[in-house]
Amino acid sequence: MAHPFEILGLAPSFALDPSVLEQRQRELNRALHPDRHAGKSPGERRQALSRAMDINLAYRTLRDPASRAEALFELLGAGSTRESTISDPVLLMEMMEQREALEEARRADDRTQLDAIGRSMAEREQVVLGRLSEAFAPLLTGSPSPAAALREAQLARARQLLAELRYVRRFAEEIAAFEDD
Amino acid sequence: MLLDIFDPKAPPKPIGIDLGTTHSVLAYVRDERPLAVTTCDGGPLLPSVVHYGEHGQVIVGRSAVSHLETEPERTLASVKRFMGRGWGDPQLARLGTYRFVEPRTDEEAKVVRFDLGGESRTPIEVSAEILRSLVQSASEQLRAVGGAVITVPAYFDDAQRQATRDAARIAGLEVLRLINEPTAAALAYGLESRREGTFAIYDLGGGTFDITLLRLEDGVFQVKSTGGDSALGGDDMDRALAERMLAAMGFDEPRNAPKPVIALVLSAARDAKHRLTDAESAQLTLPKRGGGDVPFTISRADFDTLIAPLLERTGKAARRALRDAQLQASELDGVILVGGATRVPYVRRYVAELFGRPPLADIDPDLVVAYGAALQADQLSHDRGDTLLLDVLPLSLGVETMGGAVDRILPRNTTIPVGAKATFTTYADNQTGFELHIVQGERELARDCRSLAHFTLKGIPPLPAGQARLEVSFHVDENSLLRVHARELSTGVEQSVEVKPSYGLTDEQVEEMLIDALDHGEDDFERRRLAEARVEASRLLLATDKALAADGDLLDASERQAVPEHADRLRRALAEDSADIGALASRVQALSQTLDAATHAWAGRRMDRAFHAALAGRDVSQVAGSVEHARGVEAHLAEHQKDAT
Repeated sequence: MAHPFEILGLAPSFALDPSVLEQRQRELNRALHPDRHAGKSPGERRQALSRAMDINLAYRTLRDPASRAEALFELLGAGSTRESTISDPVLLMEMMEQREALEEARRADDRTQLDAIGRSMAEREQVVLGRLSEAFAPLLTGSPSPAAALREAQLARARQLLAELRYVRRFAEEIAAFEDD
Repeated sequence: MLLDIFDPKAPPKPIGIDLGTTHSVLAYVRDERPLAVTTCDGGPLLPSVVHYGEHGQVIVGRSAVSHLETEPERTLASVKRFMGRGWGDPQLARLGTYRFVEPRTDEEAKVVRFDLGGESRTPIEVSAEILRSLVQSASEQLRAVGGAVITVPAYFDDAQRQATRDAARIAGLEVLRLINEPTAAALAYGLESRREGTFAIYDLGGGTFDITLLRLEDGVFQVKSTGGDSALGGDDMDRALAERMLAAMGFDEPRNAPKPVIALVLSAARDAKHRLTDAESAQLTLPKRGGGDVPFTISRADFDTLIAPLLERTGKAARRALRDAQLQASELDGVILVGGATRVPYVRRYVAELFGRPPLADIDPDLVVAYGAALQADQLSHDRGDTLLLDVLPLSLGVETMGGAVDRILPRNTTIPVGAKATFTTYADNQTGFELHIVQGERELARDCRSLAHFTLKGIPPLPAGQARLEVSFHVDENSLLRVHARELSTGVEQSVEVKPSYGLTDEQVEEMLIDALDHGEDDFERRRLAEARVEASRLLLATDKALAADGDLLDASERQAVPEHADRLRRALAEDSADIGALASRVQALSQTLDAATHAWAGRRMDRAFHAALAGRDVSQVAGSVEHARGVEAHLAEHQKDAT
C-alpha cells in the first residue's frame, strides 16, 4: 500500500503544517468522499469509499507526531521503532524525578503542582518536536546522500527523540486522566 | 395559509427525522429552507410515547401520553434509552414504569423486551411505530416521501445505531444516512448563517448528552471530536426530582413505589422542571402514602443543586472533547445549544461558564436537529450539494487480546470512513483456529467495553506458536457501520464478517417484523423488493450513462463493448412485466450486479482522475514539488541500498 504522504499527495516531512494537512484532507474528501458520489453506480461508490478510507487513515497517521515519525521511518526503510526505549542516562534520571513529582502531587491532590508539571511537559513536547524536525530534515532531502555511518547516526538520533516524545506524551495523558476524575 | 398544489409526478421528498427520547420531529426542505411537518398532534413535536391498547390498537403521541398514568404497563415512553441494549444492562434498573420480559435463552437476552401483559415489544418495534406515525403525517402533507436521514446521538455505539436502522427498516423507510444529532444541529446553523469557524455543540436531550467540536470551512463540516454520555439527559433531572417527591410522600424506597405512582410523580416532576424555567419556585400538592396530601415546594436554587452533579458529568465530557480536538475553549467561535433540557436556566449558565461565552440558541433547540437532518437528506438525494459532512468514530474500536486486554485498532475521533489493519499471531502450538472478539469503548479491559461481535477464523494449518500471521482489517463506512475482515497471511485462509452487534436483531428477525408490519405479508414483501430493485437499477443505468459521457475515454477495448451490452440487457429487463414478481426482482438484481461488476475497474480509473483533479485544483506547485521530492527519496533509498551491499 502507498505510504500516507503519497496518499495525501504531500512531500515527506516531519515539520508538517497542521493546517496544510487538514486542508489537503478536506480537498481530497471533497473529491473522493462517497457522499460526493451518491448518485453514482455502486462500483463507483465502493471505489470512492475505499479511497476515502485510505485518505482518512493517512490523515490520522500524519496528524499525530509519533505516528508521523513512525511513517517516516518506514518510508526510509528504517524499520519499526515501537520497541525502542530511552537510553540517555541524564534523560532517564530526569524522567524519574518528574514521575516522583507527579506521584507526590497526585497523592496530595495538589492541582497547582499538577498544572505546573502538565505545563512543563507541554513545553518539553514542543522542544522534542522541534528537535525531531531537525533530525529528520537531512534524512529526507534527496541529495546529496550522506555516508552510511552518518545516516545511521542520524536515524539513531531520530529514534531516541521519538522514544522521548512517546514518553512525554504518555506522561501528559496520565496527568489529563487524573484531571478528568 | 399556503396550499401545495398537488403534482402527481412530484418526486418523492427526502426527509430528516429526529427520533428523540422525549419527542420526535420530521422535517423536509422547501425552497432551500427546512420546515417541520405537522404531526398527528397538531404541532411539530410528536411525543415519543406509544400506547398498545388491549384490542391491538396502537396510539402514538400526545393521546398515548394520556395513557401513561392510567395504563403505565401498556404505554411506553423514552424507549430510545433501551435501543441496542440487552437484558442485564444497567439501564433496566433505573426508576421507571417499565416491565421487562425475562429472557429464556441467550438469544432472547440480546434484545430488551417490554412486557405488555401477554405480549411483548422490543424498543426497535416501538421506535418503528413512532417513525411510522411521523411518515404517515408526512405522506399526507408531501404526497410522496423519499429517502430519510435519521439522527442518532453522536455517542451511540454500533449496536445502538444498528437498532435505529432496524427500526427504520421495519417502518418501511429507505435510510439515506444516520447522522449525529450535534452534527445535524451544526449543519442547520452553518447553512443558515454561512458562518465559518470552530464551534462547540452542547446537546442535552431527554435521555442523552453529546458534546461535539466541529470546524466549518469551505463548506466542509469537519467534526474534530465528540464525546458524551448516551444515558444522561433531562429525564435524569425529572428522576432526581421525582425521587425527592416520593420521599416526601412517604416512600422510603422510591424504586418500590407502585408503577402508577411513579408515573404520576415523574410527570409532576417534569411539569415542575418546566415551571422553574420562568418561575423562582414551584409549589404542588402530592398525595401522601396511606392517604391525605402533602405540600411540596421546590425553589430554583434547590433544583440547581439537585442537577449540579448531572451537569458536572457534562463538563467532564466537554473538557475531554476539547483535549481530543487539541483546542482551548478560548479558540472557539461559538457554542450552540441543542435539546429541550438546555432550556433550564442553570444549564445555560453552566455552559456559558464552561466555555467562557454566552451560547447561541437562535434556532429552536427542539427543531434544530430535524432541520439539519432534512438539509442533509436534501443534499444526499440531489447529488448537488456543496457541503460535505466529515464525521468521526465516537468510540474506539479494538480486538480483545490475550489476558482480556484491548488492542485498539481505530481510536475514537478518527474521521470516517476509514480502514485500518493490525497483525496478530497464535499463542499456542498447532493452533488451527483464531477467535476474534471485537469490542468498542475506552476502557482497558475488554469486559468493560461494549462487546460487538465474536467470530472465529478456522482452517489455519498447524504451526508453532507465534508463526501464523493473522491480519485483521477494520472498515468503517460513511454510516459508521463496521466490517471486519480476517486473513491468515502465510496460507491466505480468510473470512469476512459484517459485524452484527452481539446485542441486536438478526436479519431474519427484522425481515419477519417487516413482513408482519405489511398488510399482505409475503406478497407485499416481494412487490416491494421488485420496486426497490427497479429503483436501484434505474439509478445504476443513469449513473452509467453519465459516466460514459464524462469519462468514456477511460474504458479499455473490452469494457467499451461489455459495458453498453450489460446496460442494454438491464434496460430490457426493466421494461418487462411478469406474474412471478419474486423471480423478476431477482433477475433485475442479478443483471444490476453484472453491470456493476463490469464497471468496477473503470470506476477505479475514474477515481484516479478525480484524485489528480483534486490535487491540481489548488496548488499545482506543491504537487509538483511533492512528486519531485518523492522521487528524491526513492533515489536516496536506491543509493542507500547500494551503500549497504
